[in-house]
Amino acid sequence: MAAADAGVTDMSKSSRKNDRSVSVTLAAATCALLGTGVPAPVDAQEEPKWDFNTSLLYYGEDGDRVQDASLKSIIRRLFADDKSLSIGFTVDALTGATPSGAIRQDTAQTFTRPSGNSAYSVPAGDLPLDDTFRDTRVALTANWQQPAGEKGLLSIGMSTSKEYDYFHLGLNANYAHAFNNRNTTLSAGIAMASDSIEPVGGAPTPLSAMLDVGDVSNRNGDQDKDVMDVVFGVSQVISRDLVMQVNYSYSYSDGYLNNPYKVLSLVDGDTGDTLPRTTPLPPDGGPSGQFLFENRPDERTQHSLYTQAKYNMDGKVLDLSYRYMTDDWEIDSHTVDVRYRWPIGSRSYLEPHVRFYTQSEAEFYRLSLDSSQELPAFASSDYRLGNFDAITAGLKYGWKTRSGNDMSLRVEWYTQSGTVPGDQLIGNQTGRDNYPDLNALIVQFSYRFSR
Amino acid sequence: MSGTGTAGRDLQVVAMEHGWAGRFRAMGSPCEVLLENGHRERASSTIAAIAAEAWRIEDKFSRYRKGNIVDQINTANGAAVSVDDETADLLDFATTLYDLSDGRFDITSGVLREVWTFDGSDRVPEPGSVEAVLSRVGWSRARWERPVLCLGPQMEIDLGGIGKEYAVDRCIAIVGGSKCAPGLVNFGGDLAVSGPPTRRRAWKVAVEGVLPDSADHVIDLRQGALATSGDAQRFLFRDGIRYSHILDPGSGWPIPNAPASVTVAADTCTQAGMTSTLAMLEGDRAEEFLEKEGILFWCRR
Repeated sequence: MAAADAGVTDMSKSSRKNDRSVSVTLAAATCALLGTGVPAPVDAQEEPKWDFNTSLLYYGEDGDRVQDASLKSIIRRLFADDKSLSIGFTVDALTGATPSGAIRQDTAQTFTRPSGNSAYSVPAGDLPLDDTFRDTRVALTANWQQPAGEKGLLSIGMSTSKEYDYFHLGLNANYAHAFNNRNTTLSAGIAMASDSIEPVGGAPTPLSAMLDVGDVSNRNGDQDKDVMDVVFGVSQVISRDLVMQVNYSYSYSDGYLNNPYKVLSLVDGDTGDTLPRTTPLPPDGGPSGQFLFENRPDERTQHSLYTQAKYNMDGKVLDLSYRYMTDDWEIDSHTVDVRYRWPIGSRSYLEPHVRFYTQSEAEFYRLSLDSSQELPAFASSDYRLGNFDAITAGLKYGWKTRSGNDMSLRVEWYTQSGTVPGDQLIGNQTGRDNYPDLNALIVQFSYRFSR
Repeated sequence: MSGTGTAGRDLQVVAMEHGWAGRFRAMGSPCEVLLENGHRERASSTIAAIAAEAWRIEDKFSRYRKGNIVDQINTANGAAVSVDDETADLLDFATTLYDLSDGRFDITSGVLREVWTFDGSDRVPEPGSVEAVLSRVGWSRARWERPVLCLGPQMEIDLGGIGKEYAVDRCIAIVGGSKCAPGLVNFGGDLAVSGPPTRRRAWKVAVEGVLPDSADHVIDLRQGALATSGDAQRFLFRDGIRYSHILDPGSGWPIPNAPASVTVAADTCTQAGMTSTLAMLEGDRAEEFLEKEGILFWCRR
């Protein structure tokens, strides 16, 4: 009943309007009402149409380990009706050395490089580092965002990146819906990635031995992996000054999850020292001991729960978050992140930041492989799969330029220290510094402007 | 004009990045005044004068106040009421709008609220009850011969559709005449500036996006005013049909296919507000109307 009545109420619109006639009449009537002269003409325009966000990041680990210089740029074009397109571009230049996974020895050690073309040696007592880590990564992202209905917001995106030995292609979609006078937002997102890995020198057969220089008989072709991520979130405005968010995410990886460059030392069951090679060293060189390439399961399922609270205290903003993550590799991690934005004067702010991270080791994490025991199906000595704690502490200073652009400088220190479970230590390994601790400096400069 | 009492008429003045901000409530809305210049005392007295003017307009023209001119008119029960100059100016203005809109902008249509409550529910009134109220609607039925107004029995006027924008324009004139200019006056989203700000290129005004964090339209305003008609929260929904709160006084029913909101930029807040209301009354032709008028607008469907 209501529909029909509401649908036929269109009063006849006579041809009363010449161009701008309504505006002209209204302007005159307003002048009469306000009793003022002719007002100055309106000067308004919608801004910004373009948003440019560029940052330069330096990440440097001490002890000649990984150094990364990264340039990232995101250009966002805003269209009418809340639609926008973002294009992101990142270039990373990575150099430095990473732990190979082999353990320290009281004697000098030699290793065949991942390429299989040459060998390198590590002095007695030193942590074996593979110094051939050198790469350039180029990444591209594109994201389209638009309202869906009155309270919905849809975004779809793609990402791709290329490194010397890695190619990534991903698609993602996210939908957010506002309820309850827009005080509650529910969101759901999915991301799929298909990556291919083309290791330098070919992917080694898992748990096969590191071979002499020139011998590539254990090397295989390219590998691939697929990753699917799903996230559900709710954000809630609690009061004018407090906004909270809870996210659950699920991630499933399937395929080649090994690090093709990581090995484990095969050690004597009593002394814990790396078994020496059994054949004479060839002229072109080769490993001094017995090292096996790592092997990880070809599936990984992760669950994570993230909660965040943002609290505004008279312009000072406290941002507190906690993340719990657990996976079927038996890694459990906890992250607490605290930021406090402190306005200084009218155009700048200081933001201290502290992050605590702790994780338990993967079920198949091993410092080394005991030759007196049967080999496990899966093993990795990658320190990132070990039991460790990390702290990030830093300070960001942000300011607005005279022309209204935003700049910020962030300096942070990262320190990571881990322990190898006592029951994994054999003989001489006890008392050695087994876990490769890590200290890094992070410096980032960001510049943002709109036009 | 809504606003139910004079209790809680607090005035807050705080120092801001670019001068001073004054905050108070009037006409059922949060009100904000930004002033770029002057020391605290001068800014405070300017803000106090602005608040006083807003409250004066609210007291004089709110249909919720007993004894004011609107109440006298609405309770005259068919008798003639002689009005003062300011009221007469507003009634003349309302008459112009009535003519401009072919009778769709009608200050006597407020009584339709007796049957329509836009609370997001499905309580659409019975056609019969709308018809009954409709017999008390129609500016053409009123006799308006300045300064005397004579409404039919049980008819009422409501200047709420004009009052807030009128108040913004009156108040921005106070800013312009003070030593604290440039400044901005914002009464619940209807706003005007006295001129470009001194230390920035433009006043930044955000027009709400679909979601709290979505890409809001940010409007750079250097001169003039912005006003918004429509409210995404006020509607009825029944049998798959959304009823906007913009009523057609000709039928007593909501204008079909009215935009959720229309924001208009114009020389004055009154012009901006009336233009956005006229656009809403055009229903699905709102954008067409605004484009033809060559007006800067943001329309949300």
